[in-house]
Amino acid sequence: MRHWKRMWAKVNSFFHRRRAENDLAREVDAHLALLAEQFQRRGMSPEEARLAARREYGGVDQAKELHREERSIVWLEQVLQDVRYAWRSLLKSPSFATVAVLTLALGIGANIAIFTVVNAVLLRPLPFQEPEKLVRVYDDLKGASVKDIGMSVPELEDLRRSGIFEGITVIFPVSTALSGGDHTERIEMLGTNVNYFQLLGAKAALGRVYGPEDAQPGFSDGVVISDGLWQRQFGGDPHVLGKRIRVDEDGYTIIGVMPPEFRHPGQTLAGDVEFWAAAGFMADPFPHPPLRAQRYLPGVMARLKRGITLQQAQQQLDALAAHLQEMYPKDYPAAGRWSLRVELAQQSLTENIQPTLLVLMAAVGFVLLIVCVNLASLLIARSSARVRELAIRQALGASRARLIRQLLTESVLLSVAGGLTAVAVLAAAKGSLVAMMPADLPRVSEVHFNLGVAGLAILLSVGTGVLFGLAPALDASRKDPNEDLKEGGRSGGSSLRQSRFRGFLVATEIALSVVLLIGAGLLIRSFWDMLRVNPGLDTKDLLVARIWIPFPNHPEANRYRTPAPIAALSREIMRQARSLPGIREVAMGGGGAIPFQPDGTNVLPFTFSDESDGGRSVLSASLATASPEYFQVLKTPLLGGRFFTDRDSDKSKRVALVNEAFVKKFARGQGLIGKRMRFRQGDAEIVGIVGDVHHEGLDAPATPHIYFSQYQSSAGEMSVLLRGASDVRSLKEAVTGIVHGIDPDLPVYGIRTMEEIMAGSMARRKFSLFLMAVFAGLALFLASIGIYGVMAYAVAQRAQEFGIRMALGAQSQDVVMQALRPGMMLTLSGVVVGVVTALGVTRSISGLLFGVSPYDPATFVGVPVLLASVALLACWIPARRAVQVSPVVALRS
Amino acid sequence: MASEDKSRIQVLQGTLDLIVLRTLATMGAQHAYGIATRLQQVSENLLHLNQGTLYPALVRLEQQGWIKGKWSKTENGREAKYYAITNAGRKALGEETQRWRQMSGLVEKLLGEES
Repeated sequence: MRHWKRMWAKVNSFFHRRRAENDLAREVDAHLALLAEQFQRRGMSPEEARLAARREYGGVDQAKELHREERSIVWLEQVLQDVRYAWRSLLKSPSFATVAVLTLALGIGANIAIFTVVNAVLLRPLPFQEPEKLVRVYDDLKGASVKDIGMSVPELEDLRRSGIFEGITVIFPVSTALSGGDHTERIEMLGTNVNYFQLLGAKAALGRVYGPEDAQPGFSDGVVISDGLWQRQFGGDPHVLGKRIRVDEDGYTIIGVMPPEFRHPGQTLAGDVEFWAAAGFMADPFPHPPLRAQRYLPGVMARLKRGITLQQAQQQLDALAAHLQEMYPKDYPAAGRWSLRVELAQQSLTENIQPTLLVLMAAVGFVLLIVCVNLASLLIARSSARVRELAIRQALGASRARLIRQLLTESVLLSVAGGLTAVAVLAAAKGSLVAMMPADLPRVSEVHFNLGVAGLAILLSVGTGVLFGLAPALDASRKDPNEDLKEGGRSGGSSLRQSRFRGFLVATEIALSVVLLIGAGLLIRSFWDMLRVNPGLDTKDLLVARIWIPFPNHPEANRYRTPAPIAALSREIMRQARSLPGIREVAMGGGGAIPFQPDGTNVLPFTFSDESDGGRSVLSASLATASPEYFQVLKTPLLGGRFFTDRDSDKSKRVALVNEAFVKKFARGQGLIGKRMRFRQGDAEIVGIVGDVHHEGLDAPATPHIYFSQYQSSAGEMSVLLRGASDVRSLKEAVTGIVHGIDPDLPVYGIRTMEEIMAGSMARRKFSLFLMAVFAGLALFLASIGIYGVMAYAVAQRAQEFGIRMALGAQSQDVVMQALRPGMMLTLSGVVVGVVTALGVTRSISGLLFGVSPYDPATFVGVPVLLASVALLACWIPARRAVQVSPVVALRS
Repeated sequence: MASEDKSRIQVLQGTLDLIVLRTLATMGAQHAYGIATRLQQVSENLLHLNQGTLYPALVRLEQQGWIKGKWSKTENGREAKYYAITNAGRKALGEETQRWRQMSGLVEKLLGEES
């Protein structure tokens, strides 16, 4: 109690220290006056009395200091003093302060920005109850080295009964056509089990979510919509509950609206999930009775039981898989090596982006280090110009600790100013920065400035200041004041050590820059190589559109159930589209026909029906459907056999085309044309071989592909591909018009040029490349400033020497070389250390590289050469100055 | 200066507060100079005290709420800051005196046994 009272009084006095100081001075004066009066009364002269009073009183300043120490929080007052002093001394050198604050703002800002993304995407748990218990379970076929082949309903039930999970639900993203709201539109629907929301612990913002009471073998009637869909299609109407809507020709009732921040924590097809529907997956539109080997469920999400760790779950799943393989040998051929895999939901959502983000995080860390080293070197240069000031302070009784504290205050003041600038700029530019991020980055909507980020900003600001200020402060305070005062403020006795230390710092800076530049160089080479990959098609003047063919729950309601109406629709669309202005040729395809669309891939297991092992070994390849014109429109070459023709219809035998990658993987030296493949739906004969199209992106190798004829399929999705003679962008609306003219209930979406799609598929790589290039450029710039500063200083110091040499008749070339030598040595040693370090670390980014080895010789030679040339230029400018000094001037100064 | 006069006593750490409180309780409100003079008188000049060393004790006591300072005039019309003991101060004085007596009694006893 007494203690708190004191503390309060001290704090109070700290804030009113001016008044307290005045009061104290007045009191001391009064005291001295009383004493003097006393002495005067004893017969002293006023002057004698004044001196005697002072003697009697003791040291006035000591007494005041003791009083202050009792009265207030001394260290706080000193910090304040230091800050004020630092502020004044920085104002005296505004150019140094500006450069320092700006480079710090760059370094700190880059770190805050990247960390904000890393924090939101990788670090922050998913916004659900106990997110560390939310997992995904996958079926893998290790024998065919295929991951995530989907799951069958009996397998799902096995998992449900396994005792490993508190709950498990299907997550089945599908495209659907929504009508009954404002306009017909393709939306993303998620089919789940009734316990989906329970499992996440999520509640509706309006109405209710579905639960166990809504269970049905097929789809349940009550559905939940997203906030976005509610606003867009229903104008945010609170009476939307109970409204009937039509989705893929089926009627549903809206029972709930989710809050705006709710996002499905998993991969989607082409955007956020906007519509949730529960199903039992055991009745129409799903195949029934469910078969074990029919794995049409694309994914499941589960919540681990309390007390079960991820490893324990994996062990139990391994045991379960072994048990099931024993029980159902027919469904699990030994060669396939079917297995179950469990993974944290958060990890499976973000694992694609994780390496990129970590590399960027490391890169900005490097940039900040370089900034620190640069500033440390600048501060040392500055402290040698302040030798006198520091010596005087020391002579007046400042302790070394106090001097260090004062110098550190200066550097922390700089870095806090830098940090504040960075935060201000980031806050102002937040919108455009978020927009710069690739749209397919998971959890991008969760990127916010929050407490964690604010904490990092403060930590970085203060930490950076200490980091770059400590070494110079230690160095500056080590001096002997006598020496420095005697030398009359000229470069102190420690200048040799100082310039060595600065040299070391600059070499470090160069080494760090080399590492960063090599990393960036490798990424640039990867991107360059990727751009040179032949995509397997001509992307110029190619317009594509997607059409969702509704897939009603009741097969009878499906107007496009059989190949015939699909073929008729395709032919009609093509006929009309051909007459559009500037269109050369039109083709149709099914799902998977448009390259570079991540959701288009559909992997299909098959066997060769004449294989010696009786077709036992299960193979797999990606599937696409295509009309006869498809390959001519893409300009993908035919390598053998024939393309599809109009006669490959539902009335003739099923045929298939395969690509080059398929041949490479499965042909084993035999000709494939004429071979029969066995699928679940029946057999198909290979009639032709086409060139590879890089469906999964330029940076992914072409995968084995099987094409079916558009006229022999009943796919749920269609693609239109239009090859124009010139710019095709103007035709986007015309395509929708044609489709709606034929069937107004078909939603048309994803209308883009092939070039736009390509750019989108490269966006992520481009983004990380762009950032790396910026960071590396920054590093190069800072390093050259650093070496320039050191060299300029060194040359200025040796100006006398150079002047004498010149006066004695030295060749200016020789003098320049002499001035250059230390800079060259620094550069060389920095480059060597950097290259060696880079050799050690580039392996960690090999996952981000494409077509380039992490030890790419061109990069490892080119980057050091580039950096050395820039560094030499930075040395050469001050070195030339050495010979331009007039000897007279040099000697006189 | 202090070394010239060995018989003078340095104020024991922590006792100055008690002495100041006692002085104020006996004499009523006093300024720092008055307190110092009084201490010298009472100790018959045995107590060596730089008058400035009173200040930390005064600010400490004031922040604890045991004394209160107020600007006022001396008889000669000079201004000075007068410190007066508060009620809390009186209470504390009682407690501290008690404690001091126990302490010095104990020390006395121990020293008596030794000799």
